[in-house]
Amino acid sequence: MNAWGYSWFSHHQQALELVLRRFKSNRLNTLLICLAIGVTLALPSILYAVLDSVNGLANNVKTESQVSVFLATNNNEDTIANIKGALEKNEAIKNFEFVSKQDALAKLQAANSNNEVLNSLEDNPLPDAFFVEPRQLDTASITSLQAELRQLEGVGDVVVDGAWLKRLSYLILLGKQAMLIVTSLLAFALVAVIGNTIRMQILTQQAEIELSRLIGATKSFIRRPFLYAGALYGLFGGLFALLITFIVIFLFNRSIAPIAAEYESDFLLNMPSLSTCVIICLLSFFVGLLSAYFAVSKSLLQTPK
Amino acid sequence: MITFDNVTKRYPGSHEAISNASFAIEQGEMVYVTGHSGAGKSTLLKLMAAIERPTSGTVLINNQNVSKLKEATLPYVRRKFGLVFQDHKLLYDRNCFHNVALPLAINGITGTEAGKRIRAALDKVGLLGKEKAMPITLSGGEQQRLAIARAVVSRPSILIADEPTGNLDRNYAEDIITLFTAFQQVGVTVIIATHDALGQFNSGNQVDPLNKILHLDHGTLTKTEVSA
Repeated sequence: MNAWGYSWFSHHQQALELVLRRFKSNRLNTLLICLAIGVTLALPSILYAVLDSVNGLANNVKTESQVSVFLATNNNEDTIANIKGALEKNEAIKNFEFVSKQDALAKLQAANSNNEVLNSLEDNPLPDAFFVEPRQLDTASITSLQAELRQLEGVGDVVVDGAWLKRLSYLILLGKQAMLIVTSLLAFALVAVIGNTIRMQILTQQAEIELSRLIGATKSFIRRPFLYAGALYGLFGGLFALLITFIVIFLFNRSIAPIAAEYESDFLLNMPSLSTCVIICLLSFFVGLLSAYFAVSKSLLQTPK
Repeated sequence: MITFDNVTKRYPGSHEAISNASFAIEQGEMVYVTGHSGAGKSTLLKLMAAIERPTSGTVLINNQNVSKLKEATLPYVRRKFGLVFQDHKLLYDRNCFHNVALPLAINGITGTEAGKRIRAALDKVGLLGKEKAMPITLSGGEQQRLAIARAVVSRPSILIADEPTGNLDRNYAEDIITLFTAFQQVGVTVIIATHDALGQFNSGNQVDPLNKILHLDHGTLTKTEVSA
């Protein structure tokens, strides 16, 4: 390593050591600041975990979604056969099942103990129906399939059973947007918290800063330890946030398990994946670094050279 | 080494702290800057150390014109100097060793090499046994010597001291002056500002290392005395 490189490396190592020494001598304060950052970050992380898990749940349910094709009441065998042929040819359909109106009525009678109303009917009011399982489950392809099926001759109505699913996915989308807003607001809060902490440190180090400038320290030499401090606050805060998130999800899953079992579901909140963890840590690291940079640049400008 | 040519320094909203000063300081000289309180001694020292820039005139440090230097290069010019401040500017949150370590840290020197130099500097001023002591526990004279150790630890070619004997009694003051003389004898240019009558510590059987006196009166250089 050349002299310049050595000096660069040594300056950084020196700043890092200094910051860690300061953290160590101020253990409680450092811990509290990191905890504050951690709690702030844990909120959106938990929110993300909830949304992620509900999203997964919604994806699972979608496989059970059906398109019901109700035929017009005055159909003969030919139209039914035609429609059946059309459904068989349609690429977008994975599977379908025909339920005749007689079968439907029988089912209804079987399911309903009070048959008086049903028995009093002269005609069978139920239509023949196909229950179609689409291949693609996203909203766009289901909507186009619905429109396509409506065009078929003899089809009365096409109903997508997954309307509530649609609503759920909108809700999830809304939740995601809310999470983004909350995250950015909290990021601002973090900038304020870390910035203030760094500013306080600058105040307590004022004598050292002034002296250092007088005896030839460059601006970056003075700035460096504070940048490291900010970045480390962010990083430790991020780790705390992960810890809090894992604990909260663990506790939540423990209490949700019996409830989910009642519904014969194995619904659990997902623990954050490795990439999510890395992203949270990186994000908090850079937020810390940035807020320290703003705080130091502002304070250094105010110090007389 | 340091050349002033018609240097004037005016602080905003104030009179001229230094008016039209011209002189030259050569390497290895011992220079006393004398004058009453408020005569501009500290300002003159700050101009020499590139801490202040002149309002007009030219300050040359090793043939570099301070007025023309970029702000970013000033720190590197300042590193050539060892500064002893009027108010010591010791850092009371760390021990003697770490106080002396600061200039080395600024120069990127750490570890065992730094440790060696710090102990050598503390040894020179007679504080080797106190490296773990906090500055607040030192006497006034010891604090002054600690400040000197910090000024010389990065082996500067110019040592500038502002009132180093200001509030010390005569014996301590003589010790300090002897210390500066020792540095001058190994080739360091020493510049000392003092309001004391020089005779106070120059009398007796002390060597007379006096090379130059710059006497200031209300910001004007009234005499430049060179003694043989």
